[in-house]
Amino acid sequence: MRACVMFMVVFTTLLPAVALAQSTEAEALRRELDQLRRQQEESQKTIDALSERLKRLESAPPAPAPATTPTPPLGQAPGNPSSQMTPLSAADLLRPRQPFGLYQQRGAGQMLFDMGVTGDFVANLTQHNVQKAEGGTFPGQENTFFPREIELSLFGQIDPFASGLVRVEAGQDRRGGDINVSLAEAFITLLALPYGTQARLGTMRNRFGWSNNVHEHDLPWVDRPDVYRIFFGDEGLRESGVEATWVPDFLPFYVELLGGVFNGENETAFGRGVLTQPLVTGRVRAFFELGDTQALQAGASVASGQTRARLRSTLVGYDLKYKYRPDGWLHPLLTVGTEGIYSVRRVERGVDVDGDGAADFGEKGWRDSFGWYGWAELQPWRRWALGARYDSTQYPDAPGWQWAIEPYVSFFPSEFLRFRLAYKHTDRQQRFDPAGNGGSARLVDELFFQATFILGAHPAHPF
Amino acid sequence: MPKRFVLLVVVVIAVATVAVPMSQAARKLRVVATIPDLKSLTEAVGGDLVEVDSLTRGTQNAHEAEVRPSMMLKLRRADAVVENGLDLDAWADVAIEGSNNPSIMRGARGRIEISRGIEVLEVPTSRVDRSMGDVHPRGNPHFSLDPGLAPIITQNIVDGLVRIAPEHRAAFEANRKAFLTQLDQRMAEWMKVMAPLKGAKVVVYHPDMIYFLTRFGLVQVGMVEDRPGIPPSPQHLVNLIRAMKDEQVKVVLVEPWNDVKLANRVAEEAGARAIVVASSVGAVKGADNYLAAIDYNIQALAKALQ
Repeated sequence: MRACVMFMVVFTTLLPAVALAQSTEAEALRRELDQLRRQQEESQKTIDALSERLKRLESAPPAPAPATTPTPPLGQAPGNPSSQMTPLSAADLLRPRQPFGLYQQRGAGQMLFDMGVTGDFVANLTQHNVQKAEGGTFPGQENTFFPREIELSLFGQIDPFASGLVRVEAGQDRRGGDINVSLAEAFITLLALPYGTQARLGTMRNRFGWSNNVHEHDLPWVDRPDVYRIFFGDEGLRESGVEATWVPDFLPFYVELLGGVFNGENETAFGRGVLTQPLVTGRVRAFFELGDTQALQAGASVASGQTRARLRSTLVGYDLKYKYRPDGWLHPLLTVGTEGIYSVRRVERGVDVDGDGAADFGEKGWRDSFGWYGWAELQPWRRWALGARYDSTQYPDAPGWQWAIEPYVSFFPSEFLRFRLAYKHTDRQQRFDPAGNGGSARLVDELFFQATFILGAHPAHPF
Repeated sequence: MPKRFVLLVVVVIAVATVAVPMSQAARKLRVVATIPDLKSLTEAVGGDLVEVDSLTRGTQNAHEAEVRPSMMLKLRRADAVVENGLDLDAWADVAIEGSNNPSIMRGARGRIEISRGIEVLEVPTSRVDRSMGDVHPRGNPHFSLDPGLAPIITQNIVDGLVRIAPEHRAAFEANRKAFLTQLDQRMAEWMKVMAPLKGAKVVVYHPDMIYFLTRFGLVQVGMVEDRPGIPPSPQHLVNLIRAMKDEQVKVVLVEPWNDVKLANRVAEEAGARAIVVASSVGAVKGADNYLAAIDYNIQALAKALQ
């Protein structure tokens, strides 16, 4: 009986809603039909008018050339259209031909995606003992000029529901070594998911913090901050898996929430590499416009997984970035930022009971460490920027810490070419001999030169 | 108690089922334009039925807008986005993709590109590369400030808005007609003002006025930039000043976001005058809407060329 009463209540409550919805739907359909009918009539009229015009044009004499044609600008590049139209002389024919032009291939058979190449070359000079210990910022590459990252990017829409990106990079890891080619990133982004969500699947630079997601050549410094290189390895955090984001639309400011599940293949921080014990990531990012000229972005990130030894490793990070861009300026005048990572790892330590210097048994414990950097950049002129970064990082798997200061100056001849000169002083609390050959790299002074170019398409970078 | 709770839930759901569609039908369409010119034109066409926002301001260079998350928030709430196309606002792709709004992704109904049907000028007919500067392979994208192209642009906007709100077609078309009537009247006045100046030679800082100049019969004989987007070398400036003297150029047109001091210096050396143009709606004081921006440019040019 109770059930019957309940059913009646639900039925009587929903009935008017359903009836109203149905009548609204019928009305909408009727309107749509009328609309379509009108559109068809208009299309027919247009076709008739065009047919009439075509007939008139076909019977009329050819029209004279337009009176006003834009005058080519002074100082036009040698490759301007008019110069290209002149017939080739014998000397021209003997000269080496222009390279294969992708853009010329467009037209009937357009490429349905964009392609870009970036090249990033670095030269570094440092002390001999640092070179011997391979303790510089670019281990094994001290006192060399080397191609750090030559990257081919292919990106575009896969279909109306997804976009794709593939990045293949080549670079030299060791002095005099071979050029290694590897897959840097390859992922699809599902764009048509409901409720303000989006998902990314594949191999990607994780959106952990602000700078981890930025490629080497796009960083505002020559090298990745120490905290990232020490906590995640030279390349930062790059994993295979799935990331999903949600952007709520009811808040007065921008917030993005992110969650991800990955293999956990990063050898430095995790290394388990299986989905049954995955690396789980999360991030929240908020953005505040402080008027038309200033903006602040704040974020918090977390990544938790297992190390190769099946021990828990969790990293929590914060990031802040502020920009001041005077109205009408093509570039920011001042950029200030900071990121920090707190790492908590379960580690196995040897315990020496009898005092003979040798571990008698292993004991599990927690080791925590913290690293951060702060950075400021001033760009008073469009082509020049100068700044400095301060790094301070504890070692996650050993006692001690290091700090570094890195002033730099960047010159941009154009949007697609950049040169950078930097000096970095690193002070390590303990003797550092990663090569194990007796070399020492406690105090390191390095001079960097970086040349970066972009060929072809390159997507804009968000704030 | 549980029974009352269930009843309450049922009533809330029932009310929501009716109220949400009604409120959606009542609210204005949210449209986001990439540049202020398109915001102004969309407002003219959409009237009271739309609420339009712009991703950039008139004082910014539309080529190099910084993609801010605040843009993504605007786009997240948008029913449609109006973009210029021809690679002028290519940065908007990144903002749109970051908005997580499937209604405005490329290929969706809410994506309105207004370059359709425009007779594009300066389309390269040979191989192009970056040695020619920041060249646009599909032609010069700065057509929005040519009032003669406003009928095509507004038609594209109407077509796009009708895709997402077909029930308002008549209103959009009526608004467009009213706007074009107003534009026709102003166009007749502008043509009258510019008629005696036909053939006058001008120099631009960046090649973004070619449609406007062509419409009113002015001739662009050079530009301050060495090549589009590339700052001038001293040698280029020397050649330019010499050419300006030879050609008796009286005016250098400069955008508010460009190097106005350099434009002034070049103009001074060549015995000309630099004027800051409304390179977009809102670029200068008084250019608050589309018609006002065109009017500002006409009056400024007429004054400088007399």
